[in-house]
Amino acid sequence: MLITGIKSRPVYDELTPMASGLNHIAAAQGSGGKPLVRLLTAMTPEQLASTTVLYSTESFTGHNFLSELQQFAVRELRVFPGNADAVGGLDTVLAAAEMGTRLYLAGSEGFIGTSMQVATSYGMHRDEVLREHAGSFVRRVWCAHCGHYSENVAHRVFVCPGCELNLIVRDHYSGRLAAFQGVKADSEVPGELPANEELDT
Amino acid sequence: MSEAQHGALQLQVKRIEAVTPEINRYTLCAVDGSWLPAFSGGSHLTVLIPVGEETKRNAYSLMSSPYDTSEYQIAVRRVDDGKRGSVAMHSSVREGDVLLAGIPANLFPVSKHARHHLFIAGGVGITPVFAQLEELSLKGSSFELHLAVRGPEHAALGYELKDRYGDRVTLYGHDGQSRLNTLDILAGRPLGTHAYVCGPTRMIDDVVASAHGLGWSDSNIHFERFDDLGSTGDPFSVTLARSGAVIEVSPEQSLLEAVEEAGHTLPYLCRGGACGECETEVLELEGTIDHRDDWLSESDRCTNKLILPCVSRATCTKLVINA
Ligand code: FES
Repeated sequence: MLITGIKSRPVYDELTPMASGLNHIAAAQGSGGKPLVRLLTAMTPEQLASTTVLYSTESFTGHNFLSELQQFAVRELRVFPGNADAVGGLDTVLAAAEMGTRLYLAGSEGFIGTSMQVATSYGMHRDEVLREHAGSFVRRVWCAHCGHYSENVAHRVFVCPGCELNLIVRDHYSGRLAAFQGVKADSEVPGELPANEELDT
Repeated sequence: MSEAQHGALQLQVKRIEAVTPEINRYTLCAVDGSWLPAFSGGSHLTVLIPVGEETKRNAYSLMSSPYDTSEYQIAVRRVDDGKRGSVAMHSSVREGDVLLAGIPANLFPVSKHARHHLFIAGGVGITPVFAQLEELSLKGSSFELHLAVRGPEHAALGYELKDRYGDRVTLYGHDGQSRLNTLDILAGRPLGTHAYVCGPTRMIDDVVASAHGLGWSDSNIHFERFDDLGSTGDPFSVTLARSGAVIEVSPEQSLLEAVEEAGHTLPYLCRGGACGECETEVLELEGTIDHRDDWLSESDRCTNKLILPCVSRATCTKLVINA
C-alpha cells in the first residue's frame, strides 16, 4: 500500500468480485498475480466460469503466480511473456466484449495505466473497473523531450534511452499518458545534476 | 443575442402545428428577432403559462436543432391532469402570442464518452431525442433510436425521424402490432454503449431493470422522467448577503430562477447541476440543504458550505448565500 504526497497518482482499489457483472475479465502482471488469486478465490463457480484471465509473467521483482492461477476453473487463461503482449491481448478480448463486462487489473503502475488506456478506448467507465497495485512502485516515465516511455524507473535521475539526456523524474502522474513526466535534469548548468535518490518504491 | 429579462425570455409563437391528435408543436422565436441562448441536445425550456390568475411553469424539451438558435421548437401533449398548463397551451395560445420562458437547461445531455448511443422512447418522450440526434448526427457519432407509439395516427414525429435517419430509426406500434422489447434491444451490445430512455415511467423502469439484468452499470443508463424536470419541491426563502434581499422560492421554480426573477443575477452555464458554474457559498444555514447536483463531492455536501442554486433546494428557517 502506498503512502504518498503525489496527488495526481491514481488511487487504487482492492480487487473483489463485482456481482452486478455477467462477464469478467481479469488482467495481471508479475506480482499482480497475488491479488488476482485472492479475487478468483472469492468468486462463485458461476463467476469463475464467466471469467477470462490474462497474465503476463514479466516481473520487476521476479514473482510468478502462474501455477497458482492455473488452479482455478476459469473460462479461459491466457498467458503472455511480456506486459506489452498482455495489454495487446486485453485489447483483443475487450474488442469482442459486451456490455455487462467487469474488468479487474493488477500489477505495476505502468501495467495498470496502459491497460486502463485500452479500457477507456472501449468506453469502459470507472465503475466497471477495479485496479489494485502490486509489487514495486517503480515508475513508467515519459520523456518530455523525445517522447520515449521508460518502464520500471526506480531512481530520481536517469538517462533517457531515447535521447540520452539526463532526466529528472517529476512527481506528476498523467492518467492520459499513464506515466510520470521526465524532464532534462541539468538544464540550468549543463553537467550539474541534482542529488539522485531512490524513488518511493 | 436575446437578453433574458429577470431570467425570462420573451418568445413569440411563430407557428403551431398539430402533429398527433394530442401533440402540438410550437415554433418560437425572440420577439425582437435576435438569436436565442444556445442549448445542447436534451435541454428543456420552462414556459410560463398564464392560467387564469395563476402562472404555471411547465418544462418542455427543446426539439429543434441545437445548431440553429434563430428559433426554438417544443412539443406539448395535452394532458387533462387538472394542472391545466398543457390544456392552456392547446386551447388559449395562438400564433403571434408572446410567452415568457426560462433559459434552456440540460438535465439529459448525451454522454461524451459513448462509442454508441442507443435511444429508447415512447410517445411524447421522443421530443428531447430530436435535438440529441441532431447533435450526434452532426458530430458523426454512432446512434440508433427505437420508438414506440400507440398507433398510426400517433406516428408522425417518428416518420419525420425515419426520413432523416433511415435505418437507424425503428418504429413500433405504428402498424398496430409490432412491440418494443427492451431486453432484445439492450442485449449483446458492445462495450461503451450508452442507453437513453425517455417516455412513460413504466418504460423507464422496464429499461433500467433490463439493463441491470444484463449487467449494465448505472453510468451507461440515462433517463428523463417528465415529472422531475426542473427543480421543484417545498417553498423556502433565501437571503442574498450582498444586497440583503430576501427572496421566496416557490415550489415550481429553482433557487436560481427565483433570484433572477427578483432582478438579481448569478453565474450559470448548464442550469442542470452539472458544470459547477453557479456554485455559491452558504454563509448561514438553519436547516438542511437538499443537494441535487452532480458537481459537489460527498464531503462538500456534508459540510453544507456550498450550494448549486440551479437545482438544489433547502428545507430551512434561514439560508444566507454569498451573492
Ligand atoms: S449552472 Fe451548471 S451547475 Fe448550476
